Amino acid sequence: MSKSKIAVQVDDLTVAYNYKPVLWDIDLEIPEGVLMAIVGPNGAGKSTLIKSILGILKPIAGSVSIYGQPYEKQRDLVAYVPQKGSVDWDFPTTALDVVMMGTYGSLGWIKRPGQKEKKAALEALEKVGMLPFKNRQISQLSGGQQQRIFLARALVQDASIYFMDEPFQGVDATTEIAIINILKALRKANKTVIVVHHDLQTVPEYFDWVTFLNVKKIATGPVKDIFNDDNLTKTYGINYKVSIQK
Amino acid sequence: MSSAQIEIQLIASLVAIACAIPGTFLVLRKMAMISDAISHSILPGLVVGFFITENLNSPLLIVLAALTGVITVVLVEQIQKTGLVKEDTAIGLVFPALFSIGVILIAKNANDVHLDVDAVLLGELAFTPFDRLLISGVDIGPKSLWIIGFILLITVALLFAFFKELKLSTFDAGLAATLGFSPAVIHYGLMTVSSITTVGAFEAVGAILVVALMIAPAATAYLLTTDLKKMLLLSIIFGVFSAISGYWLAHWLDASIAGSITTMLGVLFFVVYLFAPSKGVIAVMYREKQQKIEVSLLTFLLHLKNHTEESERHVNHLNEHINWQKVRSKTVLELAQKNNMIAINNHIVSLTKKGDEFTTLAIDYIMTNEDAQIEDMKDDFFLFRG
Repeated sequence: MSKSKIAVQVDDLTVAYNYKPVLWDIDLEIPEGVLMAIVGPNGAGKSTLIKSILGILKPIAGSVSIYGQPYEKQRDLVAYVPQKGSVDWDFPTTALDVVMMGTYGSLGWIKRPGQKEKKAALEALEKVGMLPFKNRQISQLSGGQQQRIFLARALVQDASIYFMDEPFQGVDATTEIAIINILKALRKANKTVIVVHHDLQTVPEYFDWVTFLNVKKIATGPVKDIFNDDNLTKTYGINYKVSIQK
Repeated sequence: MSSAQIEIQLIASLVAIACAIPGTFLVLRKMAMISDAISHSILPGLVVGFFITENLNSPLLIVLAALTGVITVVLVEQIQKTGLVKEDTAIGLVFPALFSIGVILIAKNANDVHLDVDAVLLGELAFTPFDRLLISGVDIGPKSLWIIGFILLITVALLFAFFKELKLSTFDAGLAATLGFSPAVIHYGLMTVSSITTVGAFEAVGAILVVALMIAPAATAYLLTTDLKKMLLLSIIFGVFSAISGYWLAHWLDASIAGSITTMLGVLFFVVYLFAPSKGVIAVMYREKQQKIEVSLLTFLLHLKNHTEESERHVNHLNEHINWQKVRSKTVLELAQKNNMIAINNHIVSLTKKGDEFTTLAIDYIMTNEDAQIEDMKDDFFLFRG
């Protein structure tokens, strides 16, 4: 990663719900090819940051660019894995169909997915080990399997930057390992992966880049340089004296 | 059948189809009550339109009424956005207010015309064949038939064009937004179609039946399928079935057509609710009973596997030891024997090879939750069907 390009740039971003700021003047540069964790306490604005970058939420100030262009012009480069709880898993559809939804962006309005899209979706299912479940109704999948379906749906977009909102929430150990292996493979392919993450213990093991967030940005940089008690204490507000293995 | 009878059934069926399509998406978006709100609050739009055009079949009337429908949705959302009241409360505040404006307008100004509150609530399906559409003096059928036919055509065309977008934004609005399919555009598109359909169906079947035709067929179909396309198709079939059977029920009882169609919708839902193969009440009860027996069987087999000493495996001992009633022990014992999982010699129960393998596999599955290991057992055991 020598002198790499900036994949995502956030300038002076402020986001508020009902005039109460949840993100305050965030400046952030995410270099291309990193596997980055966003950590911070509940209500720190982690999901809000991702949603604002992706244009789902409108900021009251500031700007975001993806490879130097506004998000609207760079949609094809970005894939998003929302929190698993954000959708109704009783929706009448199958695993394969959900993964196919990842191809809709490249199709644009009106045009229907065809054989090419189906093939891409099947390949993505294969990658996450869910091919045997392709015709299963999504409510018949376990939590870990649902998360893998969401991951496959992002993979099928074949993007350059992946945003994931708590992909390890409520999944079993097997799925967690499967997911992190896929994320590491993405980084190897020089993709940028940004993950909202909760488990501080696994940060040094899984990620090479980290952003500490608590309404304001506390720190961002390589895990080996900045993942320390000082930043943890600043972010979580308590004296954070757990020595985490690096 | 007279031609009037055929025309009534045709109008009712087209209304049913036109309602079932947006209705399916409203049900999936958990917005069923919005259709109730729209159906009532379009009244002031209809009345104002009538004052302007003095013609109940004017397109302007439909446009104005549909606009009131969309305004209703906007008002509900704005009130909800304040965070002071929940969505259902907001709905309950908005539509009675708009509806009552309509009622007052009628009472003040339109007492002498054919626009009365009864007709608005219950419709006049039986009279629809009398209101003909004449083009240069030639009778080309009932006006209602043409209006609803035209609306249905637009609805079907929109459904085919935007099926993908509707599905995506209904399932995952966040992803739709990031992929560039504005959920707001799709949302208001659906609301506009729902409003127009409501207006078009309104005169024929009334405000109450419109709601039933939107929600009941979709809710019934939801219990029967796990595929969105099949759900749409089933909703349409249920809607048309209720429309036609309801018409004949009304004919036979000499009662209101609208009321009879709604009754058929209710009966249909109730039957499916009871007998649907996997989501129906009876199927669920049966499955729970099977699961209970299977858990007992597994407990029993596990006990046998864990205890090699004969005293623990004596028939009489098992009864008191696992602490089951005699009947339950007997059922489980017979089930295990029937499946060749146990052998009984001199009142001592032991696992057969098959029983032993099954127990190992089942325990393994329960511990690891790895689906692949259990695929072939699913056909025989409810317990593992998730």
